Amino acid sequence: MLIAVPALALAACNSNSTREIRAVGSSTVFPFTALVAEAFVNQGGTSRPPVVESIGTGAGIARFCGGAGWEYPDIANASRRMKKSEYALCEKNGVGEIIEVQIGVDGVALAESNNGPKLQLSKKDVYLALAASPGGKPNAARTWQDVNPALPAIPIQVMGPPSTSGTRDALVELIMEPGCAEANPEAKELKKSKDTGPYDKLCKRIRDDGAYIDKGENDNLIVQGLAQNPNAVGVFGYSYLEENAARLHGVPIEGVTPSYEAIASRTYPGARPLFLYVKKRHLRAVPGLSDFLKLYATMWDPQGKLVKRGLIAAPEDVRAHSRDIVAGGIALDPAQLH
Amino acid sequence: MNKRLASSDRAPTDWKAEAMQKRIRRRYAAERRFKLMGLAAVVLSAAFLAFLLATMAANGARGFMRTEVALEFDFPALALPVDRAQLSTPGADLALAGAELENVVKGAASAAYPGPVPLISDNGWLTVRDAIKADPGILGRKERIWIPASPEIQLALRGEGDPAVVTGASKLEGLGAIRTGFNRDFLTASNSTDPMVAGIWGALKGSLLTMAITFLIAFPVGVLSAIYLEEYATRNRWTDLIEVSINNLAAVPSIIFGLLGLAVFLGTWEMFGHQFGPLLPRSAAVVGGLTLALMIMPVIVIASRNAIKAVPPSIRDAALGIGASRVQVVFHHVLPLAMPGILTGTIIGMARALGETAPLLLIGMRAFVVQPPQGFTDPATVLPVQIFLWSDEVSRVFVEKTSAAIIVLLVFLLAMNGLAIYLRNRFETRW
Repeated sequence: MLIAVPALALAACNSNSTREIRAVGSSTVFPFTALVAEAFVNQGGTSRPPVVESIGTGAGIARFCGGAGWEYPDIANASRRMKKSEYALCEKNGVGEIIEVQIGVDGVALAESNNGPKLQLSKKDVYLALAASPGGKPNAARTWQDVNPALPAIPIQVMGPPSTSGTRDALVELIMEPGCAEANPEAKELKKSKDTGPYDKLCKRIRDDGAYIDKGENDNLIVQGLAQNPNAVGVFGYSYLEENAARLHGVPIEGVTPSYEAIASRTYPGARPLFLYVKKRHLRAVPGLSDFLKLYATMWDPQGKLVKRGLIAAPEDVRAHSRDIVAGGIALDPAQLH
Repeated sequence: MNKRLASSDRAPTDWKAEAMQKRIRRRYAAERRFKLMGLAAVVLSAAFLAFLLATMAANGARGFMRTEVALEFDFPALALPVDRAQLSTPGADLALAGAELENVVKGAASAAYPGPVPLISDNGWLTVRDAIKADPGILGRKERIWIPASPEIQLALRGEGDPAVVTGASKLEGLGAIRTGFNRDFLTASNSTDPMVAGIWGALKGSLLTMAITFLIAFPVGVLSAIYLEEYATRNRWTDLIEVSINNLAAVPSIIFGLLGLAVFLGTWEMFGHQFGPLLPRSAAVVGGLTLALMIMPVIVIASRNAIKAVPPSIRDAALGIGASRVQVVFHHVLPLAMPGILTGTIIGMARALGETAPLLLIGMRAFVVQPPQGFTDPATVLPVQIFLWSDEVSRVFVEKTSAAIIVLLVFLLAMNGLAIYLRNRFETRW
């Protein structure tokens, strides 16, 4: 109590009954929401700048679903769709209706140095090269040739983000799991079973014997690593590939090179949608929140500022749908989640 | 007596003998080896420090520089639809944004340089806005305004990037419409998503506010506990237990204090907050300061106790002997003499708190905040967190900014340590 008293006295002279907009969540969506927050301030939309925290999709949604009211964030940034279990948590804590807005698309890109061996991979190749136990046996593949005789005999070295990263989740979900289903016909049955253990072990776990090199959350380190080691393959968000196009090029998967168009149209297998989740009740209670969303909607077009900063615009019909949701405050139907 | 005689019976040492000479050589060699090992250790750590400083200085020097381009605005011809009376009111930003100033400035830039990359940075139009706000009179005349260039242009001036852009940039340089100089915004602006206008002031101010709270709480509480434990408490099992706990607390990893801060300060707020208003909000300097105060309090207690212990008992006895009360002894004699040690310990603790990120991530200070905090309860971030956020940015210009921010942090730390040394020398008493 001794500690709290001077703090309270100090804090009291600065209290203010209104609150700034607060967004938490994915580190992939963070730069985009931060950009909109800055534009919102610059256009004179608010005197209290919005606060955007980057704590990861899972942690962000957990905080978002903590409850409704002053101390909980208004927006959750997510680099994947909300899960049914997360929606249930929101419901339990009295969050009320939630608005789901797709802001664009992101791609998890596989890339190599310009001096690299110009690999051409399939989802199955990636799965066989990176899974901890493909087909139930420990992964013995040392070179790409072990995985697929058509590939060169260079050692498998893949640099990627750690297990806490949404980008790694996307790699597993978008590339490894479909590859697993191709390689193991029984995977489909396993996925349906209540016990998720065997399926996770077969399809989702990434090997930890050194072929997959965990480079930490900083994607710039992966870019540097690729420049030093031309035989390595890197895994990161598409915006890093775009920014370093002079040094790196994308590795085609199933014959599709990661490019803006391929990801926007979702023909590239590593493409994933990015979402905002907003509390409908806060739209009225938090000043500026609905203007903030409307500003967001003006910036995600193909010529918009967000796209210049590395977001990939969603197709026109998706954008139109998202605009309608923002304009009308249409709540998410939980039956769509899984 | 007998023993001495017995020892003198032994033959005197033969220093010239081969075996003895060999032993002496070995001794000297061991001495030299030890000296060299010590020297090697010093050289190694100095080399690491020199490497760190050299890389930071080499990368960071560019982070303090910025390229700007000059654009001519003929404001009467542009006829911005703004009401001049509004420009001195808080609604000025809204009015100028409503007048499409951003598009006007961008249009002027692409007319001046129709190249493959933008000429001015994304937030460059804010410079024009601020110029208009500072002197609405320029709306009535032609004005040449220096605007931050785009990152591509800045890199091109150094010969990096697309060759077409490089030649375009050097042509502009020939016209005198482009300059590179010290970036004052870096020290006065807040965080931004645009690397050309992003600055360190918001984070620096956040650090200062956080440190102020940390000091105001940790210093009095730490020193008072040390005085009580040294001067008043009787030694028994309880004080031993307290001593062990304090020593243990000093060694607890900082992330644990973050969890504590999250649970205690933010948690309490969530329980009682509604009656008091926003006192301990998330991401605020006050919560960061409280958390860091908990972290460095044990360090201060330990340093203060050692300093108080080092005051000779004769001083206390003399003061008590001429009739001083216990409080007078402590405040007139013991504390002033112990002050250099206490201050050194405090500043070392504060320096540790200044460089801390882990506990602050948990209480929401890993955040993007566009404006510097106006008070202790405003959302804020701190220098090390800012460095952490920038190091993860895609843009190449942010990589340089990261190093520049590290230099600012190092200078801040150096200043604090310098203060510690100065205070120690100033108040030190020898007897």
